[in-house]
Amino acid sequence: MAYEYAVELRDVTKRFGPVVAVDDVTLSIQQGKFYSLLGPSGCGKTTTLRMIAGFEVPSEGEVVIGGEVQGHLPPYQRPVNTVFQNYALFPHMTVAQNIAFGLEMRKIPRGEIRRRVGEMLELVHLSGMEKRRPTQLSGGQQQRVALARALVNRPKVLLLDEPLGALDLKLRQAMQLELKALQEQVGITFIYVTHDQGEALTMSDKIAVMNQGRVLQLGSPEEIYENPVNRFVADFIGETNFIPVEIKGDGETPVVGIGAEAVRAVWAKDALPVGRSAVLSIRPEKIALRRPGAEEAGAGRACISGRVVNLMYLGTDTRYVVRIADDVEVVVRMQNVSSAAHFFRIGETVELTWDPQHGRVMDVV
Amino acid sequence: MSVNAARLSRRSRAAWLKKRVAQTLFSTYGIGAYLFLYLPIVVLVLFSFNDSRSTAQWAGFTTRWYVEMANDRQIILSLWNSVFVAVVSTAISTVIGTLAAMAMERYRFSGKLMMDAVLYLPIIIPDIAMAIMLLIFFNLSGIGFKPWEVLFFGVRLKVPFSVIIGHVAFNISFVAVVVRARLAQMDMTLEEAAGDLYADPWRTFWRVTFPMMLPGILGGALMAFTLSLDDFVITFFTSGAGFNTLPVRVFSMIKKGVTPKINAVSTMMLLFSLLLVGISITLSKGGDSESSIDRAV
Repeated sequence: MAYEYAVELRDVTKRFGPVVAVDDVTLSIQQGKFYSLLGPSGCGKTTTLRMIAGFEVPSEGEVVIGGEVQGHLPPYQRPVNTVFQNYALFPHMTVAQNIAFGLEMRKIPRGEIRRRVGEMLELVHLSGMEKRRPTQLSGGQQQRVALARALVNRPKVLLLDEPLGALDLKLRQAMQLELKALQEQVGITFIYVTHDQGEALTMSDKIAVMNQGRVLQLGSPEEIYENPVNRFVADFIGETNFIPVEIKGDGETPVVGIGAEAVRAVWAKDALPVGRSAVLSIRPEKIALRRPGAEEAGAGRACISGRVVNLMYLGTDTRYVVRIADDVEVVVRMQNVSSAAHFFRIGETVELTWDPQHGRVMDVV
Repeated sequence: MSVNAARLSRRSRAAWLKKRVAQTLFSTYGIGAYLFLYLPIVVLVLFSFNDSRSTAQWAGFTTRWYVEMANDRQIILSLWNSVFVAVVSTAISTVIGTLAAMAMERYRFSGKLMMDAVLYLPIIIPDIAMAIMLLIFFNLSGIGFKPWEVLFFGVRLKVPFSVIIGHVAFNISFVAVVVRARLAQMDMTLEEAAGDLYADPWRTFWRVTFPMMLPGILGGALMAFTLSLDDFVITFFTSGAGFNTLPVRVFSMIKKGVTPKINAVSTMMLLFSLLLVGISITLSKGGDSESSIDRAV
């Protein structure tokens, strides 16, 4: 337990015939944290999880769990447990028998099994259901049994493969909070695979965004949302504007040209050469609208002008679509903190301002 | 308004009439189909109680044919033969068929497609072709039709190996098909889950795979048992001289003339088959709600 990393992936690649499912992934997962592997379907996140569990063996590289290289160890010799997407509860066993299965296989004494199963049932609020069959439970209850069946073994790492995918929205949101609380309570490292960015943002300490078999960015939810390193990450998590720009200067806060106008921005990752076409990514809520010639925007704010072409009142905020060039429209979300008099109208000319720190310059692809 | 309402009600009455006519026609057709299927069976059962040697004219109720049947040593012996052949061939073919189903469903190997086709062959080809094939095989291979002397529940039987081998040969296919259907609808992740929970492949099989397969295996075994009891053609061709199972016995009795005793024997066989079907339905319902037997056949 003294080891800092629960799981390490070292240059792990997995090929299925000609298809590269996981492409040279290196990832260190800290002890006791909630990690998410986030990405669209087919991005390699489930394959990565299955390699940690031992269901797949890497084509190259190695999986290290608790400091020990796993190599070809089969799943039943690895100190990890999995919560499967469809729960995979044994239909011919009761809830209690399901939960006890792992302990029985490890030949834990009867008395201790009974005690630990009882504790687990309590932890997941299923006391009194031990005699039921999985088919007699609701989706949410089955989910809890699956969790209990894995956690009762006190694994070094708990692997969760989109465990909330089959639940309806309300239950899913409740379970998200419950899962996070549970993880903090038991202190076990969770590796959670999901394609739902909201889920990942809500629960994770760290998120690894994956696409086409690669980890594009690893960071806390804030880092991933506020400082996406490339267009895929910016696009996949939350809503954002991509404004085509041309690089006009270098340094830490380069100047980029938007049509005839120029603003300051920051590099998303690496500096790009002057003259290159790029995109500027700005989140809709980072942009403020004002009437031209109104009060000062505040020193150093980037400012360009445009015309409101559409707006949608959404209650807490209003979503504006502003045309800043012939074929460039920008979405702006402004919170409705002040009275309706401040609303902009369709066709009105406005100025868009933002903190240059929020404008991130990245490659077009 | 009232004109409209009248027109509407006339139209609705026409629609009602149409529906009634359609319903009547359909139920008449349905009843007719059932009569076609079951009337012969009803007649068969009825005439097993006929107090006459004739099977065409009703002459009053009797149970003497059942008594005669029970006292006919030939019939009783052939019944024992039938049960013995069914039990032994079912046991063997259930094991081999289950293993074959697992191989076909769970593993990839070269020649799998061929094996698949070969496995289904006994179901598809006519019994008579299979029977002649077996007959030639036993002749050429030198296995012949030597009997196997056994004491089965205190009854001394002489059963040729060839009959048992013949029954196993066609039963394997049916068991494999039923078990495979069960395996195909089984969730593979259950086995992964067992592995994830520290069960090695051996324990995964006995704790998870086998219990889940069991309804399929029992269904396949019951089917093999019924088919074996039922079989005439293959038994007839592979039994050599002097060995009778019940269907073969009935056939040779018919050659000497049809008496209600045959009806009585048939009625008993019918009852037994119904019992087996009942058991298999209960079993497949008990396993879980899907009936693997229905699906496979």
